Amino acid sequence: MNFGILYSRIRKDEKLLLSELRDRGHDVTKIDVRNQQFGLSESPADFAGVDLVVDRCLATSRSVYATQFVDADDVPIVNHPDTAELCADKAKTSLALAENDVPTPETTVAFTTDAAMAAIEAFGYPCVLKPVVGSWGRLMAKIDSRTAAEAILEHKETLGHYEHKVFYVQEYVEKGGEDIRVLATDGDPVAAMVRSSDHWITNAAKGAETDAFGLDDEALDLVERASDAVGGGLLGVDLMGTGAGPEDGSGSNQMESGPRYTVHEVNHTVEFKALNEATDVDVPARVVDWLETKAEQQQGVNAR
Amino acid sequence: MEVPMTECIECGADVSLHDDLEVGEIVDCSTCGAELEVVDTDPVELDSAPELEEDWGE
Repeated sequence: MNFGILYSRIRKDEKLLLSELRDRGHDVTKIDVRNQQFGLSESPADFAGVDLVVDRCLATSRSVYATQFVDADDVPIVNHPDTAELCADKAKTSLALAENDVPTPETTVAFTTDAAMAAIEAFGYPCVLKPVVGSWGRLMAKIDSRTAAEAILEHKETLGHYEHKVFYVQEYVEKGGEDIRVLATDGDPVAAMVRSSDHWITNAAKGAETDAFGLDDEALDLVERASDAVGGGLLGVDLMGTGAGPEDGSGSNQMESGPRYTVHEVNHTVEFKALNEATDVDVPARVVDWLETKAEQQQGVNAR
Repeated sequence: MEVPMTECIECGADVSLHDDLEVGEIVDCSTCGAELEVVDTDPVELDSAPELEEDWGE
């Protein structure tokens, strides 16, 4: 098979994928998104003969548009552009999760600093302000006081791109200094790790420590439902523990019962090198297993 | 085995390379710290890597 890797930077994640694909005898077409021009009627020549394109664009904006153009020309691509569209924007992700009854932190979106301030005060302190588009934990603010809120909002309004005037305010979840990253293919977990840090941001890109994590039934169910909520695909689902006891009431009397996890993010161009190192799972091999299945399914569709 | 080398386009120092270099990969110059993008592998050609942009990431 011929797999197209749509990229702008070859990170360790892409190298792992390239190596696994080549080791299995597949053809790999590397397509640098920066060199492409997408017209309305057909995909660029570099996509010819590719059985399945894997979107590994580093820039979210490129991922969102390029996947739409490629899909419009009926070239099979993962993830689907609808999934990219939802996952690229935290507000859209939150809505998709809530609409599908997936536990997710309480969130309010406001468009003026006054309305955002009112939302922040309603949440109380601390609460969290995030950019709707962004990653690696950048530009996230844990707001501990009204004066901090005023300063951050003024800065965002004055300095920011228009997207920073979409104020995404979220409850602060006391997650015990850790969260859980699950790599899943169409809702089926490949590997999971816990990311721990003294800092409230626990992204691996921010230097969090990582360790393998065993998913319980509730987490497995959430991963599947979160994946379905955004249309499935190769996804990084991020969970936080809520500190609640089991919903069957079997926890201690001091624990509130309720969902034990909340899903705070779903990533559609997921990095997995940290997972590959933190767990015993051969992550690129499992990912390529899934890619092969997707490509075979697509060939079956095309043959009909 | 001899480690392949090339020259940093920023400071001119030798940059050591590994043998499975890919176009699109970033290598660091250990002398000046510059991030360099591999734009060709045969022969190896490096260019300045793009600066981090706001929508980068997963």
